[in-house]
Formats: sequence, C-alpha cells, structure tokens
Amino acid sequence: MENLEKNNLVQLEAHNLCVSFNDRPVLKNISFQIKAGEVFALLGGNGAGKSTTLKTFLGLIDATSGNVNVMGQSVSDNPNIIRQKVAYLPESVMLYEHLSAIENIQYFLSVAGVECDETAIKNALDKVSLQSKSWQQKLSFYSKGMRQKTAIALALLRNTPVLLLDEPTSGLDPVAIDELNELIRELAKSGTSILMVTHDVYGACHVANRIGLLRDGNIVGVFESDNGASINTEDVHAAFAQGVVK
Amino acid sequence: MSYVDFKRELGFLFSKKSVVALLVVTFLLSCFSVWTGTEEINQQRETISRLIKADQIDREDVIDKKSDYGSMAYYTFNLTYSPPSELAFAALGSRDSMPWKHRIRALALEGQIHESDTGNPEMALTGRIDFNFMISILAPLLVILLLHDLKASEMKNGREELLSVTSRKKNSIWLSRVFVSIFSISICLLIPFWIASVINMAGLGPVLLVSFLTAAHIALWAFICYWASKKSRSAPHIASGLLGAWLLVTFIIPAGSSVFIERTVTGPQGGEILMAQREAVNDAWEIPIEITMAEFVKTYPEWKGHTSMDGLFDWKWYFAFHQVGDQKVQPLVSSYRKMIEKRYDNAGWVSLVSPATFVSRTFTRLANTDPISAWEYEDRVRAYHTSLKEYFYPYLFKKVEFDKRELDKLPKYNP
Amino acid sequence: MINQLLKIASEEWRYWFRTKLAISVLFLMVCMTTAAVVITAFNVALQTEQREALQRASEKAFIEQPDRHPHRMIHYGHYLFRTPPPLSAIDPGVDSYTGTSIFLEGHRQNGSTFSGQQQSTGLSWLGAFSPANVLQVFAPLLLIIVGYSVVSREKEAGTFTFLKVQGVNPLMLILGKGCAILSAAGLVMLPLIAGSLFALSKGESGIVTFTFVISYVIYLCCWSAVVLFASVVSKSNRGSFILLICLWVATTVLLPRIASNSATVLVNSPGKIETDFSVLQKLREQGDGHNANDPAFSQLKANLLAKYNVDKVEDLPINYKGIVAQSSEKNLSKILNDYAIESMTQQVEQAQVARSFGWLSPSIAIKSVSMQLAGTDLENYHRFLVEAENVRYKFVQSLNELHAHEVSYNDDNNKYKNEDTREKAKVSSDNWKVLDNFNFSIAPSEERLTEVKTAIMQLVFVFFIFIALTVFSGRRL
Repeated sequence: MENLEKNNLVQLEAHNLCVSFNDRPVLKNISFQIKAGEVFALLGGNGAGKSTTLKTFLGLIDATSGNVNVMGQSVSDNPNIIRQKVAYLPESVMLYEHLSAIENIQYFLSVAGVECDETAIKNALDKVSLQSKSWQQKLSFYSKGMRQKTAIALALLRNTPVLLLDEPTSGLDPVAIDELNELIRELAKSGTSILMVTHDVYGACHVANRIGLLRDGNIVGVFESDNGASINTEDVHAAFAQGVVK
Repeated sequence: MSYVDFKRELGFLFSKKSVVALLVVTFLLSCFSVWTGTEEINQQRETISRLIKADQIDREDVIDKKSDYGSMAYYTFNLTYSPPSELAFAALGSRDSMPWKHRIRALALEGQIHESDTGNPEMALTGRIDFNFMISILAPLLVILLLHDLKASEMKNGREELLSVTSRKKNSIWLSRVFVSIFSISICLLIPFWIASVINMAGLGPVLLVSFLTAAHIALWAFICYWASKKSRSAPHIASGLLGAWLLVTFIIPAGSSVFIERTVTGPQGGEILMAQREAVNDAWEIPIEITMAEFVKTYPEWKGHTSMDGLFDWKWYFAFHQVGDQKVQPLVSSYRKMIEKRYDNAGWVSLVSPATFVSRTFTRLANTDPISAWEYEDRVRAYHTSLKEYFYPYLFKKVEFDKRELDKLPKYNP
Repeated sequence: MINQLLKIASEEWRYWFRTKLAISVLFLMVCMTTAAVVITAFNVALQTEQREALQRASEKAFIEQPDRHPHRMIHYGHYLFRTPPPLSAIDPGVDSYTGTSIFLEGHRQNGSTFSGQQQSTGLSWLGAFSPANVLQVFAPLLLIIVGYSVVSREKEAGTFTFLKVQGVNPLMLILGKGCAILSAAGLVMLPLIAGSLFALSKGESGIVTFTFVISYVIYLCCWSAVVLFASVVSKSNRGSFILLICLWVATTVLLPRIASNSATVLVNSPGKIETDFSVLQKLREQGDGHNANDPAFSQLKANLLAKYNVDKVEDLPINYKGIVAQSSEKNLSKILNDYAIESMTQQVEQAQVARSFGWLSPSIAIKSVSMQLAGTDLENYHRFLVEAENVRYKFVQSLNELHAHEVSYNDDNNKYKNEDTREKAKVSSDNWKVLDNFNFSIAPSEERLTEVKTAIMQLVFVFFIFIALTVFSGRRL
C-alpha cells in the first residue's frame, strides 16, 4: 500500500471535542487530525462514542465544548460547509425502494446540487462492481451488498474532499468487503480524507493509515501503518479487547 | 428554491404510486363537486324560468276573471326570487336551508315571508360535496395524509440524516417537499374549479380570490404539518395529533361555539311572530273600523281623507288592517332579525381559530350564498311588497273605475 | 381460552396506557360524547317545552275566539307545533331542517316555517353536536387511532413470530386484540346508553330503545372489525393507519354526501311553489270556492235545487254558500293531497336511493337506523304533514258545515250592510271546540322496527364481511 499524500493539508480536525447529553459525558476531550489522502479508522466497542463523533462532524450534534473543523472551517460557524465538502455513508443506508439505482443517485446528486449525466453514474456503478442488469431495477429487489454499493457510488460521484463512513462493512460478505476496501484506497490516493467508524478490527487494519481506539469517550491509543503496510492486527486487537473486557 | 429543485421534487412526489392515487382521487372528487354544483345551479335557474312563466299565466288568468281592484290585490300572486350568482355553483351555502323564492301578494307580509320552500330535509341534513366543502373540509385532510410523514418516513428508514446532510441548505429539502405538495394538491383541486368557472361565466376577480384562498388554506395546513413533522415520533402518532387538531378546529370548536352562541343570543321565537301577526289581523274584524284606519294612516297619512266606507266591508279596510297587522308585529320581527344577524356575526369570531369556518364564510360571501345574502333577498322582497301595496292603495282608497289596462302598471319584481 | 383472550386484551390496554396517545384520545372521546348527550338532551327538553307551550297557546287562542262567522275562523286558522320525540335527544335527525310550525287554514296547504337552520349560527355544517353524530362520525376515528397498530405493531417488531413460536395461535391473538378494541368501543357507548335510558324514561318504547342501542353496538363492532382487518393485513403500522384513515374519509365523510348528491340528481322533486302552480292550473278548471256564482258550480246548484225541489238558491233550507265552500274545499283538498303525496313519494325515493349506499358504508346504514328508530327521519316528518292535513280538513269542514246549516243564505248575503246584519251572520263561540287537543306522535314502535330491518342488515353484512376477511388473512399470518 503506497502512501501518497497530495499535500499536507489537514482536511478534518477535532480539537478538544467534548459532547455531553443531559450532563452525561459521551465524548471527553477528543483531538485528532486527518490529512488529505489519509484513511483514519475510529475503532471502538458499542457505546464508545463512535457514532457521536461522526454526527458531530456532520453537524447533526452540537459540540458541548471544543470544535470540529472541516477544510479549516468550523462546523458550528459554517454548517453548510458539511453539505458542500462532505459525503456521508450512513450505516445500513436505505435509499428509496421504489426508485432504481440510477434514479436514486440522480435524486441525491440533484439534492446536493451536483450536476451529473447518466454516463458518469453508470461509470461509477461499474466501478463499484454493481451488475449492469440491475441498474434499472427498483432497489426493493437489491441485496444489502448491492444497496451498499449504490450508496458508495453516490459518495464517489459527490467527489468531495471528505468522506465519512459509518460501519461500511457491516453485513457485507468477504468479497464485497475486499472490493470496498480497494475503493477506499483508491479514493484516498486521489486526495480524499476518509474518516471511518467501525468495530471491525481486521478490516480497519487492512485499509487504514491510522487507527484511533475509542474507549468510553476517550481516544486511548493511536496505531499507525508503517509506510503503507497493514497495521498489526494483534496489537490493535489486544488493545481493543482490553477495552471491552473492562 | 430553484426550478431544478422544484422539478426534481415534483418528479419525486409523482414517483410514488400512493401519492399519484391520492392526487387522482382529489382531482376526481373536485370534478364531482363542481359538476354537482353546476347541475344544482342549472336546475335552480331552470326552475326560476319555469316559475316566471307559470306566474305570468296565473296572474293573467286572475286579471281576466276578476273585475275589481280589491279582488286583484287579493288574488294576484307575484313571484320573487333570488337567482344564483355565477359563483354559486362552487359554494351552495345556505341556499338549501333558507328560502330564495316566494309568491307574494299585497296581504300582510309577515304571514307570507317566512315560508321556507326547501327541498328534501334528509338530503339537506347530509350536506353536499360542493367545492366549498372540498377546500374547507377535505383539503386539510389531504394535506395531512400527504405530509404527516414528511420526516417520519425518512427517519424510519434511516434516510433522514443522509438527506439532511446532503442538501445544500439545512431545511431546504423539507421545504421543497412541502411546497411541491402544496402546489400539487392546489392544482388538482383548482383545475376543475377553473374549468367550471369558465362554463358558469364566473368573474375573474372572485375566481382568483377563491384560488388564492384555496392555496392559502392548503399552505396553512402544510406548514402545520411541517412544524409537527419536527417532532420525533412515528408517522401515525404525528398524524393522529394532526387529525385531532383538525377535528378540534373544524368540528368541535365550531359546534361548541354554535351551542354557546345560540344559548347567549336569544330573541323571539318564530312561532311567536306568526301567532301575534295572526291575532293582529283577525282582531280587526271585531274592532271598530275607525280604530284600524287611525292606525293605518299613521304610516300612510296621505289616505287620511279617504277612509270612509259604505257598509261593513270594503277592500280598502281589508288591506288597511293587513297593513296594521304587519305594523303591530314589527318590533318582534326586528328583534328576531337582530337576533339571527347577531348570531351569525358572533359566529364570525370562530373564524379566528377555525380556518375551515373562515374559508367557508368567505367563500359563501363571495358566492352570495351566505345568510347575509338570504337576508338581503328578504329585504328586497319586503321592498317589493311595499311597492305592491302602494300601487294598489290609490285604486282602493279613491273610488276609481275599474280598468283592466291599469294592471299593466303592476310593479314587477326585479331580482 | 378465555384467560388467554383476556390476557392479550389487557396487554393491549397496558400498551395504550403507556403510549399516552391512545388513552388521551379515548378520554377525549368519552368527554365529547357525554357533553353531546347532556347538551342535546337539554336542548331538546327546552324545545319540547317551548313547542308544547306554543301548541297550547294556539289551541287556547282558537277556542277563545268570540262569536264569528264560520268562514272567518277558516281564515283565522290554527297553528300546529311539532314536538320532538324522546330519542331525538340522541339523534335529532331532520328536526333542525324542517320547520317547527305549520299554519292550517282553509283553501291552502302551507309548508312549514322557521326551521332551526334558518336561525342558527351557520357553524354546524360538518354536523350538529349531537351524540348520534359524534358516535357515527368520530367514534370510528377513535377506534382507528387506538387500534390501527394492534397486530401490525407485533409484525413490525417481530414479536408476532416470537409469539407464534411460543405456541400462541395467531387467530387467538387477533381475537384478543379484537376484544381490546371492542372494549374501547364499549367505553364510548356508555354516555349513549345513559342518554337512551333517559329517553326511555321520557316515554320511548323499551324495545325500540333497546334496538337503538344495539344498532350502535353493531356499528362500532363493524368498525372494530375494519380496524382489526387493516391491522392484520398491512405490512406496517403506517400502512394500516393510512388505509384506515382513507376508509374513514371515504365512508364517513364522502360517501354520505355522494349518496345524497346522487339521489337528488337521479330523482327529481320539484319544490312547493312549482307544485302550487300545477295545482292552480288544475283549480282553474275547478272553480273558486269564494264565489258561489262561479259557473263551475252550476252542476252543484242544479243538483241542490232538484234535491230540495225549489227554484232559487234563496229558497234552499241550507246555506248555498256553505255548501259551495264545503264542496270546493273537498275538491281542492283532493288535488292538493294528490300533489302532496306525489311530492312525498319523490322525496322518499330520493331518501331510499341515498340509503341504499348503506351497503357500502356502515355510517350511512347507522344513520338510517338511528333516525328511523328515533322517529326523526323523513317519513316521520311526512307523517306529521299528513296528520296536520287531517286536522286541517276536519276543522275546516266542520266550520263549513256550520256555515251551511247555522247561517242562513240571506243573512250571509247581507252581513256587511250594518252592525245588526253582521251579528246575525255569526255563530256561537261554543262551536270552536271542534278543535281537538293535537298531540303529534311518531310512527308506532312496530312500524319503526320494521322500517329499520334493511339498514340493520347492511350493518350486520359489513360486520360479517370484515370478520371473514380478518379470519382469512389471519390464518395466513
């Protein structure tokens, strides 16, 4: 795995981020940076605060203190920055059942204000290895993997500098996971910053440049890939398990 | 919201079969409502022309057979009517419960004017689907059906966040959808109305006003749904709340207020007026003629010197005591009229909390089918009756030779 | 088995208590029904009192008239007031649309005057605030809000499969849920039952009141079955809810009006004024009863002269004018009655067309049942008109009889000459007692019970259809 950085631009940053719900702290002083072309995986067990972190970046949750920046701009000051610069892949995304893959993508791209012709959409669907015979079928006939691919194609076409992924591999079969990881690497190569939230240790190790371990609202460890090689899964697993047992 | 957004959301709205079905049903119901309204109005107009003809024949027959002015005045009936306005097809209003036609003769008016030639009461009880019903009662239900799950359906499927962060401005996607819904429902309702307005030759001004009223009422409910959709509850939960609100302002508050107003604004009962009038007229047979005539000339001093009679019966005295009968119950009649006007007026306050009441009252006012129009018609009948009496008085009070041709000058009712 | 049913039903109640929506709506509904019962009962009692007072006043006024020429009294006429029947406290029916009083006089059949609608605020266009309306239109909405998710909720959450695996029979589950919905319906019925008992105390027949209440029970059972069915057959809560709301709007708000619109278009019924003209046309051929010299009476004159063997009407032992008055009243009444019957028949036809829609909509069916049993439907209104006409004809002809036999022809012709002659042409006021005490009564209970058979069948039909559909779909779950 080559680690090509287009430049050293920090595209995603959390700085002393604290989030509390009803006086119950969920995120306690989180700080990290993601540069252009970097894949950062936030790993943690259930209830660690992964989704909260992601939602703060999306502007769906307000930070109690500290700030989150996208492309150097504070999300709280400029909420529209997310819409312009961030593509989001939610967990178990349900696109519109009554529309086909192409129609769904056309709709969401239009909502985002991105102009796109059908050829580009078809190219993207091709890239995510979605069979062409299913492109015009309604999404109600798709399997989970196929829906995920459609959503990824959408994220690709958004062509944003930042991509946020929420449990992207949950429910996918091994072949689909490999395909997804390949896509993520490709995107990173083209300069996209990718923040991935997951509890899949092995997958994260294979695709991320850095892994942050989130436990009880704190980042308790950061693991870096050694010059493009996969991160050592045993180290990460051990650190992860330690957190879970507690 | 740009044209691109509008086009996209419109396409999206129509991509759902259930929505298309709803809009088609709306359109068809709207067609039905304006069709039955137009039929009804056409029937009323035809009835009026038939009645005018029959009235003419009857009067000519009387004029032919009788040979004194008194008998003429006693036997000739004259048709009065209130023709439906051009917009009446869309809001039938109180035309099915308040009278819009009478046959009037020169006798005491209070015995004639309160008859209500209304049709089948069981049909009137059920009510109709006219366009007024569509936009004041049904339209909010359609809006609620369409928009109650604006966000809830997206939340349920996990799309709400995706849509929220994908759209260029925070709430723009929801507002676009609200706007497109308002547009679609309005168009489906209004197109049949516009077509029917052309057929019925309704004026442009009122039609535009009604269209605006329709869109505004729909928009009001659309924004109520939008506000409600922000609550994070399941779609049926939100819809129940909205239906409850609809029920409250469309039925409970108006019906409750009606009871309250009828209890607090009181006056004479109709029966009292009728009985009092009858007593006044019939007593005259027993009391001395001079007393009757004295009462009469209080209103018509010009006939003071002409009240002498040979014998105990003269048409002049007969009509004089009918006039006196009317005079005697005048306070009761005014009181009754004030009561019903006040009731309707007070009911206007309910419009402040009940959009459906506001729309309906405004619409029936524009279409001249509200109680106010019925009272205006009644006033015209009273004025006509006065002209009728006053036409006959010279012939009755001054001994005039009977000449059939004089009856060409009989005042005609002008609607 | 009963235990299991009760368990399922009580579990549903627990759910309703926890999700405050169902309970608040139920509470609201019971309040509304109670308010409607109290207010309407009060109103009807007030109206009854007022109209009875007016009726007695009217009778008194007639009887207390001084000595008069009989024909005067025919024109003085008499007022009849229609008092509301006992069950109209629950279902006032057409009462506010029909006039409350009718004026009876010679030579004319008048329509009724001063309907409630003419003096109202115009605010009750979605229906009056009567218990009948509340139960017919809004109780189903309550059942929908409370029960739309009874089965679909279990399907969505996956607990249905879970229960099946535990050994619960799906039909048993559905039945238990149905019982829960029925119990909610029962709660709303309580104020109605109270109101009906009140009507019973006011003189309504026991069997009619019983049938009345039972019909509403069947009606609510219908809707419970519909709600249950929708919940069984829908894949999601949302689907069930929307289906039910659409059904409610279609059958309760739209169909009744479509029915009445269609009826008036299909069966034409001319108004009274138009009928008057047709009558006038006929009368022109019959002669004017005020003018004994009208050539139309020449036959009558000839017969009388022959009968009493005289040459001139002045020599007849009876008053020729009185005879003419009697005869023309008889002919006139016949013509008027023919037209009135035709008009009433047309109106009833219209009503029948509208009522036939009851096969499609239980709301239409219950409305028919309710009004027919309460005696506030079209037919009972016609009954009043017919009875009024009978009263009119009887007293007018009695007065004409007096005219013929108690006032001599000579006196009659000279009555306007001077005071003395006028006195001679009068009869004693003792004669005014021809007027009976008028007490209008609605159709007897047997008749009303027979009337409602069809409508009750419509309700039962819908109920069974939906129960069958529910069982059929339930088996496949």
